[in-house]
Amino acid sequence: MLLAVLVLVVAGCSSSGGKSHGAVTVAPIVEKDFKISARSYELRAGQVDLSVKNDGPDAHELIVVRENGSGLPMRADGLTVNEDAVEKRTLGALEPGQPGGTRELNVRLAPGRYVLLCNMTGHYLGGMHTELVVS
Amino acid sequence: MLRRRHRFAPFDSRGRFTIAAILITFAGFSAISVFLSIRTTRHSQHRAAVLQVAARQRAIAERYVNEVLLVSSGATADPAATASLLTASADALLDGGEAPSLPGDDDEADLPAQQGKVIRAQLKQERRLAHDLGATGQAILEKKPTLAVPLTAGEDIAARDPVVRLRVLAGLTANTSLNAARTIAIENDRGINHLITTQVLLGVGGLFTSLLLAFGLIAATRRQTAHFRSLVTASTDLVLVFGRGGCRYASRAVLEMVDRPEPDLLGDGLARFVHPDDLGMLRATSEHGEPAEIVFRMRNRHGEWRQLDAHVTDLRGNRRLRGVVLNARDVTERMRLEQELTRQAFHDGLTGLANRALFRDRLDQALARSLRTKEPLAVLLLDLDGFKQVNDTLGHDAGDKLLRAVAERFDGVVRPSDTLARLGGDEFALLIDPATESEAEDVARRLNEAVGEPLVLAGRELSVGASIGIVAHPGGHADGDDLIRHADIAMYAAKDAGRGHHQVFRYDMALEFGELLALEGELRAAVENGELCLHYQPEIDVESGKVVGVEALLRWESESRGNVSPGEFIPIAEATGLILPLGDFVLREACAQTARWLREGLIEDRFVTWVNISAKQLAAGRVGTAVDQALEATGLAPKFLGLEVTETAIVPDGSAGERAREELQMLHDRGVHVAIDDFGTGFSSLSQLRHFPIDMIKVDRSFVKGVEHDAKDAAITANIVTLAHALGLVAIAEGIESDGQLASIRELGCDLAQGFLFARPRPPEEVSLVLAQGTCSPDDERDPATA
Repeated sequence: MLLAVLVLVVAGCSSSGGKSHGAVTVAPIVEKDFKISARSYELRAGQVDLSVKNDGPDAHELIVVRENGSGLPMRADGLTVNEDAVEKRTLGALEPGQPGGTRELNVRLAPGRYVLLCNMTGHYLGGMHTELVVS
Repeated sequence: MLRRRHRFAPFDSRGRFTIAAILITFAGFSAISVFLSIRTTRHSQHRAAVLQVAARQRAIAERYVNEVLLVSSGATADPAATASLLTASADALLDGGEAPSLPGDDDEADLPAQQGKVIRAQLKQERRLAHDLGATGQAILEKKPTLAVPLTAGEDIAARDPVVRLRVLAGLTANTSLNAARTIAIENDRGINHLITTQVLLGVGGLFTSLLLAFGLIAATRRQTAHFRSLVTASTDLVLVFGRGGCRYASRAVLEMVDRPEPDLLGDGLARFVHPDDLGMLRATSEHGEPAEIVFRMRNRHGEWRQLDAHVTDLRGNRRLRGVVLNARDVTERMRLEQELTRQAFHDGLTGLANRALFRDRLDQALARSLRTKEPLAVLLLDLDGFKQVNDTLGHDAGDKLLRAVAERFDGVVRPSDTLARLGGDEFALLIDPATESEAEDVARRLNEAVGEPLVLAGRELSVGASIGIVAHPGGHADGDDLIRHADIAMYAAKDAGRGHHQVFRYDMALEFGELLALEGELRAAVENGELCLHYQPEIDVESGKVVGVEALLRWESESRGNVSPGEFIPIAEATGLILPLGDFVLREACAQTARWLREGLIEDRFVTWVNISAKQLAAGRVGTAVDQALEATGLAPKFLGLEVTETAIVPDGSAGERAREELQMLHDRGVHVAIDDFGTGFSSLSQLRHFPIDMIKVDRSFVKGVEHDAKDAAITANIVTLAHALGLVAIAEGIESDGQLASIRELGCDLAQGFLFARPRPPEEVSLVLAQGTCSPDDERDPATA
C-alpha cells in the first residue's frame, strides 16, 4: 500500500500564506488533472477560507485531513483512502465539482500539518494530494 | 396624456385581418414549439446512446485489467482487442462515428460528435488515459518496466508496482468516463429544462400576443359600433324600429323631440304621442312594412303636432333586426310653407279673399255641379264707385285700406259657402251657389247697404258705393267665361244707372255693350303702347285771318282699328276712369308743344292752346294739380293755356260742381284761360254764367251748321254772341266748313272761327307750317299741298 507523505505542522508562524480578511484567511487552491496546488503551502492558524478552483477537465472533490504521523489508510480496493478511518481528523470536504467552477470550503485550522486530497477512484494515487503547514 | 386619435371608420373591416393575425401567431408559436421539441428529443436520443457507450468504458477498462492479469498468469485472453475497443469507443465518443459493439453483448452505436467544451475536454482526457492504460498493460505483457511508460494525462503515479499502476490508470479511465457520462446527462437535463422554459415562454408569448390582438379587435369593434351608434344618435333623423311588441327602439332625436326617456316610448308607449287619426296607419305600416313612405303627426315636448315624413324599411327578414325601420324627418315647416304658397297662389294678398284663379276654379266646379243637379247659381261682379278718386286724392295706402274695409264688409254679408273674390283693382266677384235670381238680387242689395255705411279713412268720412252686375244661371250647361263677361256687362249697366245700383244681366245688354267692352281693353293697351297722340286745330281771328290759338284734340291711331274717333273712345275712357291718365297726358303734351312753338318763335304773346277737360276730370278734383304739373314740367306761362269745359261739368249743384268752380276760379286767377264748350246744349242758367271765371264761349257746331240757312240757328248763334259780348267774353264758332257759314258768323259778330274750312286737326309739325305763315285762309285747306 502506498501512503502519501503526511506532514504534521506545528502551530506555525508562517505569515506568507493567503490573504487575510479580518480573522479569515483566504487560501486559493487549484485542482487540475491530476494534482492539487496552492498559492501558499504555509498558512496561519485560524479560520481559513479555501477557495477551490477546478481547472478540470475531470470533476474533483477536496478533502482536508489533519496528519497524525500514521499516514492515510487505504480501503480494501487499494485505490481509495479509507475515509471512515480518518473521519475524526477530517476537517472538511467538498463533493465532486464540475470543472470551471470555484467553491469555498471554510475550515478552522489549528497549527499542524494537513493533507488536501481528491478521493475519486485513482485520483489520490494518480497524484492528487498536497500538504499544508499551519502555524 | 394624449390619446391616439382614431379615424372615424364605421364601415372598416379590420376584424378579419386581426383574427387571421391571431391564428398565424398561434400557428407560428406552435411550429417553433414543435420544432424545438423534436430537436431536443433527438439530442436526447443521441445522448442516451453516448451515455451508454461512456458508461460502458468503465467495464471495458476493468475487463482490460483482468485480461492483462490473466494473460500474465498464463491464461488465455485478448487484452489487445479490449484495448483497441476502449480507444475506438473513446474516439467515437469524442468525434462521433460508430462505436464498436462489445463482443457478445450489444450492437454498434452511431454517435454524434460532441460539441460542448467541458464534455470534449473530459472525453479527450479519457482518451489520453485509455492510451496510458493500454501502454502500461502492453509493458506488463511484454515484461518491460512500467515506470518507463510515458504518461500523457497529467497523472503522477507514485506506486512502482506495475499492477497497482495499471489498476490506478484503469480507475482513472473508468472515473473519467463516468464523469463524462454524468456531464452528458447534466447537459441533457439542461437541454430539457431549456426546452420546458422555452415552451412555457412560447406559450405565454403566443397567448399574450393573441390576447393583445384580440383586445385590439374588441376595441376596434367597439369603436366601430360606437361610430355607428353616434351616426344614428347624432343624426337629426328620427329613427324608430318596430317589432312584434310595438316600438323597440327610438333614436335620441325622437327622445329629444318628445322629451321623454326611451322606456316611455317602447312597446305601445309611442302611441300616446302619435295623433289619434294617424295611429291606425302607423300601426299598419309598422306591422306590414309598407307603404314605403308615410306622413304622420307626433306631439312634441311643447304639445305641438309635428308632421313627420317617414321612409319605411322592412327589415323583418334581417336576422339581426327583425323589425320595420322608420327614418322620419320633421317636415312641418316645409308643409306649412307649401300651404302658405298654395294659399298665396289662390288668394289676394291685400284682402285675403280668393283671387281670380281660385274664383274661376270654384266657378267651374259649381258649373259642373249645376250641370248634374240643374240647380241655379249666380255670379256677381262688383265695382266700387269713387274708388279711383280715393286712390288719387288720398293715396294708395288709403285706397288699400278702403279695399280691405270693403272686403270685410262684403265678407260679413256672404254665406261661408259662397266664394267672395277680389279680381283686381276695385273689382270684386261673388259666386252664390245655389241661388235664384231674386236671392242674388237680395244679396246685391245687402252688399250695397253694407258698403254704403260711411267709413272714416285718413281722417275723412267717405261714402262709397258699388255697382253690381248680376248674372243668374238657371242651371244646366254654361260657360264660366260667358257668365263673367255677362256679369261685367250688367255691371256697366249698373254703373250707368248711377252709384249704388245693381243690374241683372239681360241679353239685349250684350248687344249694346259688346263693342264698348272690346274697345276698353284695347284703349287700355293703347295708353300703355303710346298709340295716342295730339292733333291741333287752328282757331282763326275772323277779321284778320290770323291764327290766335289751337284746340288740342286727342287721336288714337289703333294698329288694329286705324284711327278711332274720340267720340267713340272718350265715353269709354270716362266710364272706366281711363280719362284721368288720358287727361294728364293731353295737358302735358299740349303744354310741351306750345312751349316748343314759343321757343321756335312761331306764336305770339296772345296765343292760346285749348285743352278739353272732361266732367270726370273736374269731378275728380285734380285738374288744378295736373295743370300745375304740366306747366311746371314744360316751363310754359299759364296765359298760353286754355281749358275748355262743358256746361254740364260746371253747372251741377252740390259739392262736385262747387269744387269744379273753385278749381277753375283758382286757375283763372293765375292766368289760365277758360272756355265753355258746346255752349247752348246744356240748358245752363244764363244768370249763373256771370259767376263763372270764363274768357270765351264756344258756339256749338249744331248751331253753326245751320247758321247760313236756318233762321233759328242763326238767331241762337246771334244771341250767344251777343251774350258773350255782354259779359265781356270772346265768342268762337266751331265747325265752320263753308264760306257761307264763315260769312254768316262774321256778320253775327263772332270773334273767332274754327273748322275744316281753315284747317283740319293736324299733327303738330304740320301745324307748325301754318303758324309760321301766321294766317290761315280758306284756300290753304282746299289745297294743302301748295301751302
